[in-house]
Amino acid sequence: MDKKYSVKRLWKTITGDGQLLAGIIGILLLLLLIVLAPVLATENPYHFGEDVLVGLGEKGHILGTNHMGQDIYSMVIYGVRTSLQVAVISALISGVLGVLVGGVAGFFGGKVDAVVSEIINVFMMLPSFFLILLVIALFGNSLYNVMIVIGITTWPSNAKLMRAQALSLRERTFVKSATAMGETKTQILFKYIIPNGIFPVIANTTMGMSNAILTEAGLSFLGLGDPGIISWGQMIYTGKQYITTAWWISVFAGIAIVITVLVFYLLGDGLNHVLNPKHVNGRE
Amino acid sequence: MSEKAYISVEDVAMWYPYHGSDSSSHKKKGEKGKDWIKAVDGVSLSIEEGEILGVIGESGCGKSTLGKILTRLEKPTRGDCLIGGVSTKEMLKKNPKEFRSTVQIVFQNPFDTFTPRDTIEKILLRPLKNYKIGNNDDERRNMCMEALEAGGLRPAEDIMSRYPHELSGGQLQRISIIRSMFLKPKFIIADEPVSMLDVSVRADIINMLLDLSRNENTSVMFISHDIALTRYISDNIAVMYLGRIVEYGKADDVIKNPRHPYTQALISNCASIDPDEKVESIAIEGEPPTPLNPGPGCYFAPRCQYACEECKKKYPEKVTDENGHWFTCIRKEQ
Amino acid sequence: MEEILKLKDVNVTYSNKKKQVYAVRNATFSIYKGDSVGIVGESGSGKSTLAMALLRLHNEKSVRIEGTAEFEGKNLLALTQEEMNAIRWSGISVVFQKAMNALSPVHRISTQVEDIYHVHEPKAGKEEIEKRMVNLLKLVNLPERVYHLYPHEMSGGMLQRVAIAISLLHNPKLVIFDEATTALDVVTQGQILEEVVQMEKEMDMTRIMITHDMSVVAASCNKVAVMYAGEFMEIGYVKDIFKNPMHPYTQGLLASFPSLKGENAKLSAIPGFLPDLSKECDGCIFAPRCPKATKECRQRKPKQTETKDGRMVKCILYEGGMSNE
Repeated sequence: MDKKYSVKRLWKTITGDGQLLAGIIGILLLLLLIVLAPVLATENPYHFGEDVLVGLGEKGHILGTNHMGQDIYSMVIYGVRTSLQVAVISALISGVLGVLVGGVAGFFGGKVDAVVSEIINVFMMLPSFFLILLVIALFGNSLYNVMIVIGITTWPSNAKLMRAQALSLRERTFVKSATAMGETKTQILFKYIIPNGIFPVIANTTMGMSNAILTEAGLSFLGLGDPGIISWGQMIYTGKQYITTAWWISVFAGIAIVITVLVFYLLGDGLNHVLNPKHVNGRE
Repeated sequence: MSEKAYISVEDVAMWYPYHGSDSSSHKKKGEKGKDWIKAVDGVSLSIEEGEILGVIGESGCGKSTLGKILTRLEKPTRGDCLIGGVSTKEMLKKNPKEFRSTVQIVFQNPFDTFTPRDTIEKILLRPLKNYKIGNNDDERRNMCMEALEAGGLRPAEDIMSRYPHELSGGQLQRISIIRSMFLKPKFIIADEPVSMLDVSVRADIINMLLDLSRNENTSVMFISHDIALTRYISDNIAVMYLGRIVEYGKADDVIKNPRHPYTQALISNCASIDPDEKVESIAIEGEPPTPLNPGPGCYFAPRCQYACEECKKKYPEKVTDENGHWFTCIRKEQ
Repeated sequence: MEEILKLKDVNVTYSNKKKQVYAVRNATFSIYKGDSVGIVGESGSGKSTLAMALLRLHNEKSVRIEGTAEFEGKNLLALTQEEMNAIRWSGISVVFQKAMNALSPVHRISTQVEDIYHVHEPKAGKEEIEKRMVNLLKLVNLPERVYHLYPHEMSGGMLQRVAIAISLLHNPKLVIFDEATTALDVVTQGQILEEVVQMEKEMDMTRIMITHDMSVVAASCNKVAVMYAGEFMEIGYVKDIFKNPMHPYTQGLLASFPSLKGENAKLSAIPGFLPDLSKECDGCIFAPRCPKATKECRQRKPKQTETKDGRMVKCILYEGGMSNE
């Protein structure tokens, strides 16, 4: 973990795990799409053109257009932005919340743990999709609401992971020695427990990102997405009435979702392999 | 003891409630008395300034628990430890930082004493910052370098930039002691500090602790199962069995002239590197039981070759000789 | 005296794609019938690797073993696993550090003993096996009832005794104790060692004791072989070497152990660390840590030299001097 070696080691771990490598390449490609969207897209996807329901390759529309005359190819490319935004922000919310709550529960133990564990259980039992519907019904269907709700409903699994980590870490000598060195509980939590126990949570969160993308798509498909934004779910939703006449509206968005979800899944699973303590360090 | 010693451990006990599945505990369900595992059961000791007290005993005798209680990593069921007349219990309540800098511990496993994510530099700087020792980071860095050099860890610059897993056990244990000494503790508890180290580097750690007690006048409690090593480092030795001290005295006195039957058995079974030193070993039956509701008689009586009826009735009184060497056995002349 | 095991130039090398670790190098020595030899060394000295190699317990894909180890006219290192199986238990048996790991937790001792017994004597009846095992249990001071217990019903000391008894089931010519008493408490260790020494007197067995603890060797062996970084530094009688160690490493090692009752001489550590065993070394492997090392020590390998009292020392200091004496 020395800085001198870290780059080399990182490279070795990445190339050593096929899944992780595929995931990282996929993510890089997606990021490239985000940055280069204005260049790659042939049209402004928000532009309602004259050519309505044009087929593949006709009139300069590579993947055709929808009933409003928007260019499908450009929409698919701009859709990456929405999906990644949803994935990253909701995962951040879920990750941070999970790590803090789980860390506190596991590290402090006793009554704190008993109470917090019950809260985690309650949240785990909540039907999350129903909760999302409820929030959107109450607060409106902006993309931010969707992201926040996804984050709030997915943190319990992260919290459980972090709690288990904290429970075992607090028995480790270095945590005891930090106590003996006069560090406060808060210092120990943030300096020793979280940094040493966060890796499974990172892996889990990355996997969770693909779920977030799917959830957002699902909401959009039900017509509960943010109408002011281009998202793949919405494309499928609007395309479904034309599925027999203009199948391309839904299908390419669907393919895009599958690919992106796969990328995050590969990344998450790859991280899971690599960050597994048994994999990283064979000393104990 | 007429006058108060510098460090005085007073009647420390650590009892854990027992929820076993033994048939005996089922019977007691209706009764009021709870079952207790008495890991430490009323230990009183005194340690002078600069003294090294060795605590020996087999695994499960409570010696490590005693160390954890004194550093308050575990809260004892009862008892207190006074340092220079000040109660550490009170000190911990009023000013935990002051308590932590007064009592320090060196752990058994040096490979796990430091967080694997930080360099030695970061690890050493933390307590200095935390206790506001030194004015700025440069000054603190220099302090670390000097301390490492003085502890024989050269080149200090190189050591500072390393991660714990890149160093050997001996080096890590030295760093652990150096870090503790930054806080100028009055009392260091060394819990089996060399048992995980290679033989050829053990002496370094032992000599380092000896120097500490001599030069800094720090009191040390050296907890170990290695009797020869404990005798080498200690001024006084306390022998523990099932949570109680059964014998205490000057190191050489206890080793060469053990009075308690348990100490006698322990020492006679201890192999020495001198092949001529072989003695007839005293066999004791079985292995130490769990300290589940021991007594009421002498805890060692069930395994003792000399045990008589009287031993099983009442825990024996302390018998002290003129050198302050004491033991708890009714057989005074042995 | 009859040689029971004769090692010649045994090399054990762990290798994977990236590097090779020369764990044991040029191990040459003999064990005679009735000997009890303590192989001592620190972690990384190769003592356990050597034992594993003799028993052929390594994963043979990642380990290269060279040289010869002659046992009853057969080279152990060249046998097939099937041929080796014929030697295990009846020729050479082994007792490991943690008996609880060697015994199956879900079977009674009796079942496990029967299985082992049937390896070499498939027709033996239950009563016969029980009689044999109970006799062996007596030797290690265990009551008869132990035979019908499960491992979890016994303490660590009892389990280790059971493991020792099992290792003697087929009257092996050679028993290897691989840190067999390390995890035990002082009293239990002391008693087991005493039982083993006693047993040997009655049973005509030869023993190799692998340990890091010099005092265990002093208490239970007549010969000692000191290993450092994969090489034997000094081999000889316990009474000679402990009194008058010749090799600087042995001297350093002995100076790191305090005496129990003798004079409280100052302990000293050996400076420096174990060398990197993945690199070839031109000179003496101990030279970088040796207080007596000269330029020559760093340039060429010392030869194994035999001294007058019949010990072997691998140190340049004693190479020329001995012939002049």
